[in-house]
Order: sequence, then structure tokens, then C-alpha cells
Amino acid sequence: MSENEPVIETRGLVKLFGKFRALDGLDLSVTQGEVHGFLGPNGAGKSTTIRVLLGLLNANGGTVRLLGGDPWKDVVELHKRLAYVPGDVSLWPSMSGGEAIDLLGSLRGGLDDARRAELIERFELDPTKRGRQYSKGNRQKVAIVAALASNAELLVLDEPTSGLDPLMENVFQEVLGEAKDRGATVLLSSHILSEVEILADRLSIIRSGKIVETGTLAQMRGKARTSVHATLARVPAAADLTGLHDVHLNGNTLAATVDAGGIGAAMSALAPYGIDALTVAPPSLESLFLRLYENEDDAAATR
Amino acid sequence: MSTATVGAPRLLRTSIRHEARSFAPWIGIATVLSASSVLVYPWVFPTQADRDGLATLVGANPAIGLIFGPAFDVSTADGFNAWRTLALGGLLTALGAIFVVTKATRGQEDSGQAELLASGVLGRSSRLLTAVAMGMIMSVMVGLVAALVTLACGGGLEATFLLCATYTATGWMGTGLAAVTSQLGAEARASSSMAVGTFGVLFILRGFAYSVQAPEWTLWINPLAWMTETKPAVENHWWPLFLAVGLTAIMLAVAFVLQARRDFGQGAIAPSPGPARGRARSPLALALSLNRGSLIAWGIGFAVLGVVFGYFTTAITDLLADDEGIAKVLAASAQTPADIFGAFLATILSLVGIICSIACVQMVLRVRKEEMEDRVEPIIATPTTRPRYYGSNVLVALGAAAVFLTIAGVIVASFASGAGIGISFGQALTQALVTVPAVWTIVAIAVLVVGARPKFAIAAWAGVLISFGLTLLGPTFGLDDWVLAISPLYHVPHVATSSYTWGGLAVVTAVGALFAAIGFAGFRRRDLATT
Repeated sequence: MSENEPVIETRGLVKLFGKFRALDGLDLSVTQGEVHGFLGPNGAGKSTTIRVLLGLLNANGGTVRLLGGDPWKDVVELHKRLAYVPGDVSLWPSMSGGEAIDLLGSLRGGLDDARRAELIERFELDPTKRGRQYSKGNRQKVAIVAALASNAELLVLDEPTSGLDPLMENVFQEVLGEAKDRGATVLLSSHILSEVEILADRLSIIRSGKIVETGTLAQMRGKARTSVHATLARVPAAADLTGLHDVHLNGNTLAATVDAGGIGAAMSALAPYGIDALTVAPPSLESLFLRLYENEDDAAATR
Repeated sequence: MSTATVGAPRLLRTSIRHEARSFAPWIGIATVLSASSVLVYPWVFPTQADRDGLATLVGANPAIGLIFGPAFDVSTADGFNAWRTLALGGLLTALGAIFVVTKATRGQEDSGQAELLASGVLGRSSRLLTAVAMGMIMSVMVGLVAALVTLACGGGLEATFLLCATYTATGWMGTGLAAVTSQLGAEARASSSMAVGTFGVLFILRGFAYSVQAPEWTLWINPLAWMTETKPAVENHWWPLFLAVGLTAIMLAVAFVLQARRDFGQGAIAPSPGPARGRARSPLALALSLNRGSLIAWGIGFAVLGVVFGYFTTAITDLLADDEGIAKVLAASAQTPADIFGAFLATILSLVGIICSIACVQMVLRVRKEEMEDRVEPIIATPTTRPRYYGSNVLVALGAAAVFLTIAGVIVASFASGAGIGISFGQALTQALVTVPAVWTIVAIAVLVVGARPKFAIAAWAGVLISFGLTLLGPTFGLDDWVLAISPLYHVPHVATSSYTWGGLAVVTAVGALFAAIGFAGFRRRDLATT
């Protein structure tokens, strides 16, 4: 693998389940050393993509490269270099959490014992409980400790914090930051923006098996809309509001969004109606994210 | 009570539809056990002298009574059937009921299905009621099917119905017991182990009480002895069945009271903590540790089976050796006594092999279960290759076949060699060992199905069913040799006879290797955890 070749690169990836196109020409690129947020609504194809990257599923079309190899063929070589946390962790019912961590760790070629102990401490995990006694969050912790106690250069995390409480989520963010500082590349899938926003260098948003947006947080923000809330002296005429999106008028209270760079024009349009109060919120990824989700509904509605 | 059982009928209908398949093995085994004794009896014990000899032998050996209980009268086919299957048939039915009840109560709570159900419009007692109904329905089906098939095979009317009613009654007691232990254990497995353990102790105590002719009160405090006291084909007492029904009712009442006080997903007894560090560090160690419980349980089972079949061998060879009628038959045909004994030994060990294949097919199917419960994914996401993962599990299954047959073989061989009928310990043990490749081929069908076409996981049992049907029932239906030859066990050489060949077994082994190879290729190529 050359120095600047992406750690993960897929081109036109297609995966069919019967007639259902779970992945429909997916192009994903993750570069070395970055934390790459992989966002999308439920059922968009995040886990399917990850399973293809892990060589669990064989793609029906397109190309996929992982750490310079073919994830379907070079299983052993590639898996020595990566660690994985599944979204829905299922443990062996009568095996203790500690046993599961050691099993998974030693299959990967050994764990850093000191870090294992430290992570168990920080995540407040009781390793002597049996698999079936753990709550969802604690099962998740077992998988997180097993993955992060290794020295893998690529971490593939499929909604790793689902079921974790906010305190533990903070611990997870810290631990992931440390992994990043060690030089690990991270693919972090989630359907919640906020947990990705803190750490991710770049984001890819997947919808219906395709990447619909990809870029750095700053680039994304550029595409996101500013939200505007205004209380006006008079009710504005609809014709004057064409530069605004998602307009909701309630009497003389207005809520709308404005494209980046369109704030000046929007202010000019509203000023003649007498602005009594005004709130302009900076572009949030949340709004972009929701817009991308909503488009799907629109597309479905017009179909 | 009315609001506590809301939704139970609907739940029961759905559960029966989904679980009826799991009833089949219990019904099948009990039926074959009962029907086969009626079928085999006239052939093995054709004359009055043989039957008297059998009675003497059974009476003279208290060890055999530990398993089968007392032989009140083995001079008729029905009496023989009652002796041979009353204890075992009841045991099987009760085991089936225990597993069904535990799975439908605590098993569902552990897997989370019950939570979905319990949050719906479902009375507090509906799930337990459904589980109990399933256990009781399964027990009735075992009794009914076994009775009808046994009658068709020539069993006497009243004796057969009474005998099969004891299966059902024992199954009901198992249902009641499991309903109680389901409220006590920390999780499903602990609950079922508790029930099976309790049942096992009562089972051995009954055998012991009869074998040592303990005072009569020791029988009446043991519910399993009530079943023996019905004495089918001898006295035909029906009233002890009502004791069983009464006890079942009491146990169920206790279970419902306990259930009303119990928290969801929790038992009265907390589980012990596990080790903080793990020792299983390879796929093979994982496969061994996951199968540890069943390896130990089946291992003990095969030791018991070895005693039962081993003793059977000596009993029959003794009878055959002493019998003038048999001597005449032998003189008239080309067969030597060694041929008959050798064939008989091979048949006995084929039966052990079939039971062994059941255990091993279960172990292979476990891979599919692990896969569907998302526990293969994290293993395959490590540098462990798919062939290595699958191979570890297949190795445990095949190794188990060799170990189980060796355990049973050594014990059968000790009995057979002591009988002094020209079969040496070495020959008998060799016979057990040459059965191993045939069993591997039966298991290889499961390896093929789980590896290449897991959608049809039920087909993994095809080898077991074919071998079972052809080996046990085939000859009595007068099937042609080429049909019988479909069973891998048909090709096992009879090493204690004067002439035998190895060619068939070599072909069987090669076919098994081919099946396994297809299975491994499939497991490497297919998508994981999809249907």
C-alpha cells in the first residue's frame, strides 16, 4: 500500500439481497489517519457496507480496496490490521465478558494487557458477568474494549455507542481520540450526527445504498443552511420570500432556512416588513443531515 | 384468573406452529423404541425356552435393572416391551417436555422475545400457561403416536395403550417439574439442568430401589416408580396414572404461584460470576468450550448406552449359543455362529452410531445458530479464516463421534468378550471403530448443508433419518439390498465374521469427504448471517 492510497476505497459498490439493492453504486473513500464519520438513516446500507469491507459479504459489483488489499480474498492479512465493533453485539451466553475479550483479542493476535485493564476500569465494566447477564450497553462495552485494547491500524466501528449512557459515551470519545493520536484510521458509522461531529475529520452520508454527500465538516457546513427566526411588524407577501426555504409563517412570526451566502438577500427581503426580533442560527449539520433524509421522503412521494 | 390468561390461546396456536418441529425427535425415538421391541421380540426370542432364559438372565443381573427397571414378565412381546421401554420412553418424553417448557418460558426471556410478548396484551400467566400446554400436548402426542405405531406392529391393545399412557404421564410430570424449575433458575440452561438433574436422580433411585428390592415405601415416594407399578401387560393397573396427574396438578399450582411473584428474566437463584480472564484463545478452544456441556452429557450417555447394549449382546449370544433350535437353523444354512454374532454386534454398534450421529449433527448445526445470532461475525472479523472457524467446529463434531463410539465400543467389547462366544475384545472394539467413518459420512451431510445451503438447515438431518430408517426398519420391510445400501452404515464391514470387505467403507468415506469438501467450499464463498 502506497503512502497516499486511501485506507478504504470503494467504487460503484453494489450488493443485492435477492432483488433488493442494499448498496447501489457506493463510492466511499477513507484516507489514512482520519476519523471518517459514516452517517445515514436506518436501513441506508451502513452495516452492509461494513460487512462487505470485512469480507463477510461478497459484493455483486464494483471494486473495493481495504488497506491496499481485497477484503474478500485477503481476509487474514487484512484482519490482522483491523479491529471491529459490531452494532448489535451478541455474546456467548455462558461465557464471561472477560473471556470474550480475551478470545477476540487473542484471535486478532494478542491484546495489550495494560490497556485492556485500563479500558475495563474506565468503562466500569464487570468482566466476570456472563454474556446473557449484560445489558445492551455493557455488551457494547465488551466489544469496544476487545477492539480498542488491540493495536489495530484500522478501527471499523458500526454504531459503537448504541446503548451507552452519556458518561460512557464521553469515555468512548476520549478513548477514540487516543486511538486517533496513535495514528489509527477510524471508520465510525452512526445515525446520530452529534457523536460523529466531535471526532470526525470527514463525513460521508449514505442514503439508499449511495453516498449522497461527502467532505470535511467545514465543507459540509458550507452546504448546510442557516436557520432564520424572525418576528415581523407586518405579514410578508409570499412573493417576497422566494429566496428563503422551508418557510413557516404563523401570523407575523416566520421560521425559514437560508442557503449559505444567502443571508444578506434574505435580510433585504425581510427588512421592508419591519423586523421586531431576529434570530439567525449558524448552519448546523443537523439541518443538512435532516434535509438529506427528508429528500428521500420527497423522492418517495413524487415517485 | 381470567385476566391473567388473556391471549394464551392465540399464543399457544402460534407457538405450536413454530415449535411443533422440535417435538418430532422425541415422538420419533419413543415410537421406534416401543415399536421395535414388539417387532424384534419374536425374532430374537422365538421359543418359550428363549423367553424363560431371558427372564432368568434379567433377573440374575441387577445392574440391568438400574436402567430398565424390573422385568415383571418378559415371556410375551408386550411384557418385553413394557420392560424395555417403560423407563426409557418415559425418560425421553419427560426430557422433551422439560426442554419445550424451559424454552418457551426462560429461553424466550433470555432471548428477549418474551419481553415483546409480555408488553403486548397478554395476561401475566399466559406465557407459562402456553408453555405448560405445549409440554402436555407434546407428551400426549408421544403416547398416542407410539401407541398407534406399536399396535400396527403387533402390540396388544390394553398393554400398549397403558404403556404409552405412562410415557404421557411421565411427560406431564416432566412438564410440571420444568414449570417449577423455570421459576427458580437464573436462566434457561440452569432451569433445564435443574429439572433434568432432578428427573435423573429419581430415575436412578427407581432402578436402584427395584434392583436391591428396597422396602415398598421407597417405591411409593418416587413418582417414577408409580409408572412402573402400572405393570403393563402383566397387571394392567391404570390407577397409578391418576397419581401422576395429581402430582402434575400440584407442581403446576406451585409454578403459577411462584411465577406470579417472580420478576421478569430473573430466577430465585442468582448465577455465579464467571472468570475475569479467558482461556479459550483459538477457534478450536471456542468450539470445545461451547460444546463442553453437551460433550460431557453425551459422553455419559454413551457409557450408559454401552452398558445397555453390551449387556444385551451377552444376553442374546448366551441364548443363541444354548439354543437347540438356533443350532438346527445354523446347521441348515451356510451361516456359522460367528457370522450371526458378528452381524448382531455390527447392528448393535450401528445403532450406537446412529445415536452418535444425532449428537454430532447437533454440533454442526450449532455453527448455524451461532451465525444467525451474530456471534460468527466478530470471529471472522479477526484474522481467523472461515475454513479454520468451520473446520474447528467440524473437527469437534467428528472427534466427538470417534470418542463416543470408542466409549460405547470399549464397554460393549468388555461385555461381548466376556460372553465367550468367539468375539474377542479387540474384534468388538474394532467393530466400533470401523463404524466411525460411516458416522462421519452421515455428519458430513450436515457439514454440506450448513456450509453450502444453510437455508435448508433441516436437511442436515437427512443422513440421520435415512440411516435410521434403512438400518432399523429397512430389513423388516424386505427392501432390496441396493436400497439398504444407501445407508452408510450398510457398508460397515462385520469384522467378527468370517468374510468381509473394506471396499464399501472406502467408497462411503470418499463420499463423506466429498460432502465435507463441498460444505467447506460453500462456507468460504457464501455471505454470512443471511438467509
